[in-house]
Amino acid sequence: MKRNQFLILGLLPAIFLMTFLFVLPSLWGIYSSFTNMALLGKEAANFRFLGFENYIKLFKDSAFYTSFFNTIYFVIGSALIGQFLLGLIIALLIDYAERRKIPGRGIVYGIVLLAWINPTLIAGFQWSAMYDYYYGTLNTFLKFLGLPKINWLGSIPMLSVIVANIWRGTAFTMLIWLSALKTIPVELYEAGKIDGANAFNRFRYITVPMLRDIITVNLIQITMATMGAFLLIWAITSGGPGLKTTTLSLFAYRTAFESYRLGYGSAIAVIMLLINLFFGIIYIRLFRRR
Amino acid sequence: MCKYSKLIPIIFFFIFLIINSFAKPITIKVWYPDELGVKPKYVDKAAEDFRKAFPDVNLEVTRYKIPSGDFLTKLLLAIDAKEAPDVFHVGGTLMPEFVEAKYIRPLTPYVVKWEDWQYYPKSIKDAVRYKGHYYTIPYGLDVRWLYYRKDIFAKAGLPTDWKPKGWDDILNTAQKIKNSVPNVIPFVIYAGVAGGGGTVNHGYIPLLYGTKALAYDIKSGKYVIDTSAVKKVLEFYKKAFIDLKLVPQEVLTLPKPWTTMREKLGAGELAILFEGGWVYGGWVTKYGLENVEKTVGYTLMPSEKGTPYFTVGGLGTCWYISSQSKNPDLAWEFIKRFNTRDIVAKINIEDPHPVARLDSAELPEFKAIKYLYDCTQILNQAKFEPMAPGISKFGNRVQLMTGRVASGEMSVDSALQKFIEEMKSDFGDVIIK
Amino acid sequence: MKILVFIIFILIIIFFSIPFLWLYLSAFDKEASAFIKLPNFTLSNFIEAFKEYNFTRYLINSSFVATITMLLTVLIVAISAYSISRIKWRYKNSLLYSLLLLHSIPLSTTMVPIYGIMRTLHLRNSYLGLILVYTAMQLPFLIWLMKGFFDTIPEELEEASWIDGCTSLKALFKVILPISLPGILVVSALSFLGAWGESMLILILVDSEKMKTVPLVFYEAIRTVGGYMEVRYELVSSFAILFQIPVVILFILSRKLLATSIVPGVER
Repeated sequence: MKRNQFLILGLLPAIFLMTFLFVLPSLWGIYSSFTNMALLGKEAANFRFLGFENYIKLFKDSAFYTSFFNTIYFVIGSALIGQFLLGLIIALLIDYAERRKIPGRGIVYGIVLLAWINPTLIAGFQWSAMYDYYYGTLNTFLKFLGLPKINWLGSIPMLSVIVANIWRGTAFTMLIWLSALKTIPVELYEAGKIDGANAFNRFRYITVPMLRDIITVNLIQITMATMGAFLLIWAITSGGPGLKTTTLSLFAYRTAFESYRLGYGSAIAVIMLLINLFFGIIYIRLFRRR
Repeated sequence: MCKYSKLIPIIFFFIFLIINSFAKPITIKVWYPDELGVKPKYVDKAAEDFRKAFPDVNLEVTRYKIPSGDFLTKLLLAIDAKEAPDVFHVGGTLMPEFVEAKYIRPLTPYVVKWEDWQYYPKSIKDAVRYKGHYYTIPYGLDVRWLYYRKDIFAKAGLPTDWKPKGWDDILNTAQKIKNSVPNVIPFVIYAGVAGGGGTVNHGYIPLLYGTKALAYDIKSGKYVIDTSAVKKVLEFYKKAFIDLKLVPQEVLTLPKPWTTMREKLGAGELAILFEGGWVYGGWVTKYGLENVEKTVGYTLMPSEKGTPYFTVGGLGTCWYISSQSKNPDLAWEFIKRFNTRDIVAKINIEDPHPVARLDSAELPEFKAIKYLYDCTQILNQAKFEPMAPGISKFGNRVQLMTGRVASGEMSVDSALQKFIEEMKSDFGDVIIK
Repeated sequence: MKILVFIIFILIIIFFSIPFLWLYLSAFDKEASAFIKLPNFTLSNFIEAFKEYNFTRYLINSSFVATITMLLTVLIVAISAYSISRIKWRYKNSLLYSLLLLHSIPLSTTMVPIYGIMRTLHLRNSYLGLILVYTAMQLPFLIWLMKGFFDTIPEELEEASWIDGCTSLKALFKVILPISLPGILVVSALSFLGAWGESMLILILVDSEKMKTVPLVFYEAIRTVGGYMEVRYELVSSFAILFQIPVVILFILSRKLLATSIVPGVER
């Protein structure tokens, strides 16, 4: 069909750019995961093809398991529970506030949004100052209340980093829900109220079904984005203490740029890719029931 | 116009190219990282001397104001992309790794003809020799001290000319301070990944050497794990961090524990700290020499039971010639002009380090500074950092092991077991005693 | 109930705004620290940023690169997303999902080959190099986003315009674009911000002083200026403010210009 051909033409520039700067590097990365390429040491002089040896090593490496589970905690904590629920709640509240003319909704919307468009490095800087043990805002506040200081980044690093990430990313979910909520006709809610349904049931039986696809997409997006989240954690804890906040993306980075073992680092990256694939398929299956 | 008119511009173009390639001057690229701001004037002086001697050569010196770790990454990427500079400046500990990666050229042919080589003591020459070749010329060496605050010691009723009789003495002294002087951190020794290189060279290695064990066997080219020695080291960590709580847990989690702890000792909020010699200069700059001499004391690290006292020596950072350099002879000429008696002496006066050349040490202005004099004296009692390939992997495993014990995450035995597993996985063959 | 919602709003506002309050107060403070306090007001941090740290150059670099990236990205995204949205192909969805998946290979792996490619093409330390890389890396997500947007515009609209005599291209401009303007604005904003704030690839793509961008300088500041000494909160905060300028501008603009129903306070 002539139209199809015309449309393919439109795709060419994107395909060209993405191939060179995306596909090829990714393929190189996948290839290198089967070697012991390194930037330093004797492997830098000549590398060997290793087959699956890197992956076998990975499955025996406790650091891998630690970072794997850290990634799970981080994604569930900050994205699935944190950003999703908080974004949802805020969106619902704003929507409600709009109808009942409660003041403050504009400020809430604004400040949540600001936290999201704020560059990640700055967010990392802000939160590392907030969590600073000796002089940070949080501990200063605790001292003011006469309470003992909490070693945020030392004793509860994962929680601290999760909170920072929730602060950072909630706006995305909030935006999605806000625009989605407006697509539901008011009449449905009115009908529901007449039928005697309370707010929670209205949400469950009207809102959710209508927005199923949007929920799916949103969950996929925030899961994948959070899985690859690097800069925020890096700026606050660099993965520490020890490996306590090292997620897979940090583990991959440190292996590649601190230990300079490129091959091994790429193997970690490929595992991340597979995990994303896995989650993607699950979400699609779960929500495509319609 | 004749039909060959189109060829004329093409011919001119080729002539232009040919002339250009002959006329292109030789370029020597020199890269180094520097945040402190001391090195540039000396590098520039060496550059000036070089340019006077070789006016036709284009010498490009680039100073990167970034941490040395970031510089290393940048350098390695450039080497990987075959765009390495001719001369670069990195830490001496990495020398074996660079040699194994075939990134650097041996300096042997040059140094044997260099008249200044005679001023370098045998121990230094041995330290820069790897697999039979000399690869670099150190200028400012690293030594480490057990620093302590004389004023806090006085408050605790302790003698201010401290010479610890062994590890237990260190812990007991710290305990006394904890009991009698409030609001002061008694003792800090680095552990865990947060401590970075400090964990290895200012924590683990000094303790390990204190048990008279070694970390690496040069003859066989393998790492050594002396289990009873390592256990003793881990027990010390456990006592200091967990049992007696002399070291605060934040040391394991602060983003830059060395920066914070140095500041604290300088400010009088920390009593005992094992750190590098170069830190002293920072305090002098901030608080003035007189002040620092009054309040900060330094002593050698004791072995487990006392003697021998020693310090952990390091080669510092030095210049190397890249194996990708097309003009190694000229690269050497630059390095030679940096490593002059005067530059070596002056740069190490400004950024206090003991010097590698004896004639620099004899210069009156160097000798006059008590601290530097002391540092140079202790070089005789220096045990050097392990000179081994894969040192960064080893360092990482040490950091993990000490961190696990210091945080209480694992017992000494489990952490040791884990370390052995990880070392075996990293290096294949490891000698276990 | 209304009071409860209001109280929750206050709590949310406090939680989200404290880090910003600290940042803004510290930048104007001569003795800023990690905790939030009333400033000893001064502009000296900013003056220092411009005089001692050459910030003018960095701001120019970042603005230029971000703007051109935005224009290029919007152009390519609009055309590509439209094409994908309208194309009829069995494997369309699989391609889309695989695109998104490719996007999730972490940067640390692709950084090294990208370094190699850019060096070979002599595009390191150049505007062109940055623009190409920044455009390319944002394409997968933005095309996906825009495609979803185009999907909501029924094809009947174009078909109607064809009957009226427009060619495909004209239809695109006269009919689709006006309707998709909000989407295009979103893509513009995201691509500009994405390029403005990019902080990972810049580390390996730029090291010459005259090509540095603001994120790179900020990164160096939080790792360097604190390297030998403690972090200078007042200076780095001022860097952060400068870094944030277009973000804040876009933020204010979006509140005013976007009169669509995404923004609360506007009656449905």
